[in-house]
Amino acid sequence: MSRFDRQSFLGADSESKLHAATLGLVGLGGGGSHIVQQTGHLGIGGYVLVDPDHITETNTNRLIEGTLADLKAATTKVAIAERVIRALQEQPRIIPVNDTWHNATGELKRCDIIVGAVDSFKEREQLERFARRHLIPYIDIGMDVHDLANKTYLIGGQIILSMPGKACLRCCGLINEERLALEANKYGAAGGRPQVVWSNGALASAAVGLIAQLLTPWFTEPLEFIYLDYDGNRGTLIPNDRMELLRNKVCPHHPSEETGDPLFDVREFNRVTADLALRKVKLASTIAPISFWKKPWAVIARILGR
Amino acid sequence: MTVHLKITRRLMETIRRDLSRPHPFAYERVGFISAGLSSADDELSVLARSYRTVADDDYLHDPSVGAMMGPDAIRKALQWAMSDGLAIFHVHTHGGRGRPGFSGIDLREQAKFVPNFFQIAPQCPHGALVLSNNSAHGHIWLDGDKPCEVITRFVEVGSPLNTWSAA
Repeated sequence: MSRFDRQSFLGADSESKLHAATLGLVGLGGGGSHIVQQTGHLGIGGYVLVDPDHITETNTNRLIEGTLADLKAATTKVAIAERVIRALQEQPRIIPVNDTWHNATGELKRCDIIVGAVDSFKEREQLERFARRHLIPYIDIGMDVHDLANKTYLIGGQIILSMPGKACLRCCGLINEERLALEANKYGAAGGRPQVVWSNGALASAAVGLIAQLLTPWFTEPLEFIYLDYDGNRGTLIPNDRMELLRNKVCPHHPSEETGDPLFDVREFNRVTADLALRKVKLASTIAPISFWKKPWAVIARILGR
Repeated sequence: MTVHLKITRRLMETIRRDLSRPHPFAYERVGFISAGLSSADDELSVLARSYRTVADDDYLHDPSVGAMMGPDAIRKALQWAMSDGLAIFHVHTHGGRGRPGFSGIDLREQAKFVPNFFQIAPQCPHGALVLSNNSAHGHIWLDGDKPCEVITRFVEVGSPLNTWSAA
């Protein structure tokens, strides 16, 4: 019996597929921490965990597994996420990056899927562009609490699966010049935006569902473009009106000509790989030789066939 | 060193559809894929961008092989590599299902023409792919003067992701 028996409907080889996959998670706060926990349970084996911050007091209302002891120790969000995964899996492949994702591009390039749980529109757009450039599906989650005046609030959010070639965040209208300009003007003065644990959890759960659809063949008709709206007041998650309209749209914002690193040169790559191979040979030659008494013993053992 | 080839499902379907069209006299069709590139340490990613079919008139009559490209087909592909500075991969299909392999004729012909691409786009690797209806296999040259390598891993980017390894 395997600990994954109850999810065997995901497919005959789903366990190995999930274990072989590498997930890039950018932003390990309210939304990202839920995804860490759920993908750890799901059995995803590889992680590139990226967040530059440590836990603060205002995170403790929603950062999953972020404890008061972590607060006292100023534990990084990356360390909390790594701890959660290691508590759920025996040999996960984790690359923790306690920095901005711009300093983790080498690691993120290798991911099968990237999930962005970041606050700003600018970061989202850049992260999506990076994912598209490397033909990596990108899942974006975001939520906000809107003040409707008279002490009434609307909790809203969205989840978008941005597949290379298909509609992007700009096609969806989530990112536009007006929003980017507004955000740029508010930069540094916006303060902490309201966030709550259950809406983060709802969006993160939907994101993990999409991850499972991307990695395992359990769902017979998975969509390649998904745009869902979350209404936290009503507790609903429904397709956005644009989802059907944009279903077969070819994205004009990220043309295929942008794929790859524009300055790539295979001659430089060949030089780097030759250097790496040479270093591996040197490293192997520096390993301590077999001690004098083990050598004759090895010969005798070989003769005796042991 | 590992070499990954990534291609969107939409592009892969376009290629398979085109290659399955009957030709007036050749037994099979061929085409070329352009690709962008990216690396991290000793891992290389070949990221397919677009596809161009070989025009009907650019095939030679040669009943001893499935399809024989004429000089114009190769000249046009070389022109594409030169003008856009791209990695170029020759592609054809053997149909069927499962992991395909190159024939002896494929290996002989690709060894003749692929290294020529380094004369005009030496900054990019180039290569050749053979498809089946649900898989692919490929060779890549990282240097025009050295033997080719086998593409280690393929990823068809769609929902669900479809990945397979050369081994």
